[in-house]
Amino acid sequence: MRRNRRFLMLLLMITSLGYAQNPTPSEREMIEQLAQQVKALQEQVKLLESQRQRPGPDANNSAALNSMGTGPPAAEDASDPQHEPFLQGLHDLNGIQWIGFGEVNYKVLDQRTPELGSYGFVSGSHGNFYTGDFDLLLTARINDKASVLSEIVFGEGDAQSFGVDLERILLKYDYSDRLRMSFGRYHTGIGYYNTAFHSGSWLQTTPDRPLIMEFANDGGPLPTQAIGVSVTGEIPSGKLGLNYIAEYGSSDTIRPDDAIGSTDENNGNHFNVGFFARPQSIPGFQVGGSLYHDLISDDIRGPDVRLGQTIVNAHIVYMGHKIEFLNEGFLIRHAYEQGPTVYNMPAFYSQVSRQFGRIRPFFRYQYINANSSSLLEDIGLRHGPSFGARFDFNDNIAFKIQLDHTLRKGQPDLNGLHSQLAFTF
Amino acid sequence: MSTMQARIAIALVGTWIAAQTGILPAFAQNTDIAVVVSSQNAVDNLSAAEIRKIFAGEKRSWAGNIPIKLFVRAPGARERDVLLKLMNMSESEYKQYWTGRVFRGDAQAEPIALFSNGMQKEAIALYPGAIALVNLQDVKPGMKIVRVDGHKPGETGYPLN
Repeated sequence: MRRNRRFLMLLLMITSLGYAQNPTPSEREMIEQLAQQVKALQEQVKLLESQRQRPGPDANNSAALNSMGTGPPAAEDASDPQHEPFLQGLHDLNGIQWIGFGEVNYKVLDQRTPELGSYGFVSGSHGNFYTGDFDLLLTARINDKASVLSEIVFGEGDAQSFGVDLERILLKYDYSDRLRMSFGRYHTGIGYYNTAFHSGSWLQTTPDRPLIMEFANDGGPLPTQAIGVSVTGEIPSGKLGLNYIAEYGSSDTIRPDDAIGSTDENNGNHFNVGFFARPQSIPGFQVGGSLYHDLISDDIRGPDVRLGQTIVNAHIVYMGHKIEFLNEGFLIRHAYEQGPTVYNMPAFYSQVSRQFGRIRPFFRYQYINANSSSLLEDIGLRHGPSFGARFDFNDNIAFKIQLDHTLRKGQPDLNGLHSQLAFTF
Repeated sequence: MSTMQARIAIALVGTWIAAQTGILPAFAQNTDIAVVVSSQNAVDNLSAAEIRKIFAGEKRSWAGNIPIKLFVRAPGARERDVLLKLMNMSESEYKQYWTGRVFRGDAQAEPIALFSNGMQKEAIALYPGAIALVNLQDVKPGMKIVRVDGHKPGETGYPLN
């Protein structure tokens, strides 16, 4: 019997060892997790100590607790009254929170002249390093429903000059899930990409944006930014998960142009209306579309010549199970107010990627067919594939490499290599 | 080894294998993770899809437009593992997901990660719109357990474990 007990003890020890080793796939990950916990606890202790240094308990917190009548019993664990102001302070996040994004790029093309979207690329050289956008995102909470968001970008121009751009400044007010309002400068809700990805390249899988979604001041064809009001929210639709977006504002887009330096489209006020569905049964799936309209001027024919710009978008997106599948189609319609001239310019891109450990290989195909007599004559017809991979060193630093092959109407094919070190902090 | 020893060894090894492979229903019920809200919250039942939407920050207010306040456990806790399973994300993906939401202006900050269930209890007591995932054995007085897809934690068919 005694031998049986010893044998049982031995088996139980082996079993318990098995349990201890099982929860994490490797000891290294467990050590990393423990180190993270220790770091987090150290930060917590620091915060608690700073709370203790305050002269007395926060009267508002005490009032809140008393009104709820849910004060913790003395015998409960973690019932130290210091937790309450700590939690309150932690969740309310008073003051300005910020996130930074940066990037360092190396891009080489098999032509000497600079190409669309290659801002910072010095004309006449085969390959260059450039920093791209250095992006500071600042958010601040005003109360439970109101907050402020601003995005300040330091962009690189020619000859390592830098300019500051207030990409977004928004006063946000979330009345409910069905009505969320933003006032200020926003990224227009044309399609998916423009509102899902902003200036911080770290969030993107690829080093660059698809050409159709390139920011207007980098050569993109769409009015990507505007100042005005943007309203969005859910539409009661059960499991369909229908949402709307409505925008009214001024975009006043300026595009760089090889021939005349830049094109100031002097846009009138625009409206943009979109709908999209996120079905509950397929998390990560989104399907939708939008309609944008404004009046722009023709710089070549003079500011008195106006044309209506209508942009129709449809998109299908899936982000889940380590898969990214982005598909967007556009029709840009320019119709002159005086005369029958109308240009219908289609564009689309399709991007697919999948995470394998730290590596995410991707493939993208993009197409744009801009009429050579239109305001987008510098873009013309171009299409082609891009492929590459993103490697995440950790949660903050990623390296991306991309090869492009672009076919252009009336010009030789263009090949490019773009590598990027993107980071967030 | 006697027959008795052999039987005990087989039984223990069998139990261990069953526990490792997750085919012990009774064991699983004890490790269910409860969805808890403030006792002032009128909600009694949520679907698993609704809970995912809430913890993904897509649903941001309760009925009556009371803002939802998310509290989650810090990495390393079992509740955190269940949260990631619910979201179908790794820890890195979860971090990137919330950075993206903040960047898009869909959230002010990543949900607060708390280091103990005691702190979760304090948070639930402090905020009428609070919601958290808590190991069933650690549910304290003052926390209101919400049914998920009509099931209470510990019942067969409860999805969060």
